[in-house]
Amino acid sequence: MSTLASEYSNEVTHDVIEHRFNPYSDNGGTILGIAGEDFAVLAGDTRHTTGYSINSRYEPKVFNIGDDLLLTANGFQADGTALIKNFKNQLIQYHFNNDNKKMSIESSARLIQHLLYGKRFFPYYVHTILAGLDSEGKGSIYSFDPVGSYEREQCRAGGAAASLIMPFLDNQVNFKNQLDPETGNKKQLKYLKLEEVVELVRDAFSSATERHIHVGDGLEILIVTKEGVRTEYYPLKRD
Amino acid sequence: MSINDISYRFSHKSQLDQNNNDELPLNINNFNLNSLAPSISIPPISQPTDFLRAHTDDDINPDCNIKIAHGTTTLAFRFKEGIIVAVDSRATAGNWIASQTVKKVIEINPMLLGTMAGGAADCQYWETWLGTQCRLHELRNKERISVCAASKILSNLVYNYKGMGLSMGTMICGFTPKEGPTIYYVDSDGTRLKGDLFCVGSGQTFAYGVLDSNYKWDLTVDEALYLGKRSILAAAHRDAFSGGSINLFHVTENGWVFHGNHDVGPLFWEIKEAEGSFNNVNS
Amino acid sequence: MDIILGIRVKDSVIVATSKAFTRGISILKDNDDKTRTLNQFNLLAFTGDSGDTTQFAEYIQANIQLFSMRENTEMDSKSIASYIRQQLASSLRSRKPYQVQIMLGGLNKGIEPFLTIIDYLGTRTDLPYCAHGYAAFYTMSLLDHHYKENMSLEDGLRILKLCHEELDKRMPVDFKGLNVKVIDKDGVRDVEF
Repeated sequence: MSTLASEYSNEVTHDVIEHRFNPYSDNGGTILGIAGEDFAVLAGDTRHTTGYSINSRYEPKVFNIGDDLLLTANGFQADGTALIKNFKNQLIQYHFNNDNKKMSIESSARLIQHLLYGKRFFPYYVHTILAGLDSEGKGSIYSFDPVGSYEREQCRAGGAAASLIMPFLDNQVNFKNQLDPETGNKKQLKYLKLEEVVELVRDAFSSATERHIHVGDGLEILIVTKEGVRTEYYPLKRD
Repeated sequence: MSINDISYRFSHKSQLDQNNNDELPLNINNFNLNSLAPSISIPPISQPTDFLRAHTDDDINPDCNIKIAHGTTTLAFRFKEGIIVAVDSRATAGNWIASQTVKKVIEINPMLLGTMAGGAADCQYWETWLGTQCRLHELRNKERISVCAASKILSNLVYNYKGMGLSMGTMICGFTPKEGPTIYYVDSDGTRLKGDLFCVGSGQTFAYGVLDSNYKWDLTVDEALYLGKRSILAAAHRDAFSGGSINLFHVTENGWVFHGNHDVGPLFWEIKEAEGSFNNVNS
Repeated sequence: MDIILGIRVKDSVIVATSKAFTRGISILKDNDDKTRTLNQFNLLAFTGDSGDTTQFAEYIQANIQLFSMRENTEMDSKSIASYIRQQLASSLRSRKPYQVQIMLGGLNKGIEPFLTIIDYLGTRTDLPYCAHGYAAFYTMSLLDHHYKENMSLEDGLRILKLCHEELDKRMPVDFKGLNVKVIDKDGVRDVEF
């Protein structure tokens, strides 16, 4: 209800003022996961934005959540943080109840599905990627949509520049539309070495930085191998 | 205990009985299905369904921030030797192809298959949940669940959420000694139909075209597998939202058998050459 | 565009429903049965929002069977009609009403033929002949013309045939023929049509 003052009187109108409830925002950024034979990498840029403003040039969004698992939830940062916090708490409970047993990546993926689907009618606005080693020690990547549908994949890009990076990955990781120059047949799939993968990731991000305003500033790559998790940082253009 | 007490214990409470005491009907956790599902949270506003639609439905609001994957072709048909299930593998969000490697056949258990059309998460989540319910049925009754009962568990579940924005079109396929090969179509508005042949998804009409005109009860297994594959190929060719690769399954009395993943890229040229079909395309 | 038709004749009631089940632009099924048998002398036919229809019909069916188990007596047609109307009326005033149109045919107390239609608003009308949806536009005039009080079952089926021919000729979509059921002193039975 609102009161309008006119020249003659104060008129009370009975229009209801509607406020659209919009609890979502987009904090830009992009993420990328690639699985190798005995390793997996999960990378993300470190720029944090709202609209056209850059809020931070170093805001990490890929996390080592323990049990040699890497997790990132790109999109709306508040939702991403909430999801990861939730997962970590569930993991503590799991350790407490199961004699500190390591949670497998298969179980972690199913748990994340339940966390996401638990908000089916008020979704987390995030694209989630989980990376780690499977029960055979092979590198593995799981990617999730905002409400929890998931799939194991060889590689996946998510976030603002997903549409720039994903086609590049199809070509360079899964050799899509590539022919073997010797035989002229479809190029055989093979596992890439860790150094090759890191080079691919760096190329993907520096190219995405050139063409997407929400990507840049820094690249943080988390690598999981049987030795554990390590982090590498490479600067990206800051314009 | 009188017959009245017994029947009262097992009588179905209408949803109306709950609604009439004017509580929010959205306390969906109350449904009495011995549910293994966790509680699902809802935005704290008067019209949660409108909220969800505004933020997730790209038909109504093209700029919505959460895009839920849609677009599919799936089919299943009954014949002399069991059931053939064939699906494509593309997931789209708007014009963006989110994935070309989606598993749209959900292996509920070694005897039952479910297909996925509509919301990927809804199908994946509730059909794995259905798997747990089927296992509980086996443990309680020392007997495998019928396809009829399994499909009804799912249809009653989705009916509880009617109008809240679930989106699924699925076929529950299985083979039991008392029913034989059986297909039920179940969708998110609560429809549940038994039938011999269904195609579901945005490419359904194209798949029906090929399937209806070549379908016979007496097909051999190889002929039936080819027909399933060929029908999905037709849909992948004509429907922009379908494509990727084709997953083929055969359901027999001993459970389902996987018959391979077939990439539409080379398959198209292979079939075009073998059949002399697809003459709208020049190589 | 589902078709539901009912004709009350001497000592029996005829209920006809279309066999097509349509979703979007595809007919998913051509042998659908849009009726549920409530007890020996009562048949419920339904159309409306898919999902709601079968859920509501089976809810009514189960409750009527439950009543007869508890009370050891069969409900007669008029009581069933009152019960269904009451359920729809209270549903209408809830957060999520059933969107269902109902036709109930039966022999009241096993003797007197009875036919009623009830819509989702809870409007109930007991009539000698009636139809739901578009079918009504084509068939009511025919029935007005040919219907006689206390006509025989054979004559009733003859009029139904006329209705079927007219619908087949003028309805813009194929409804895959009619399921015809008759309720008389022997109970509910299918009729070859």
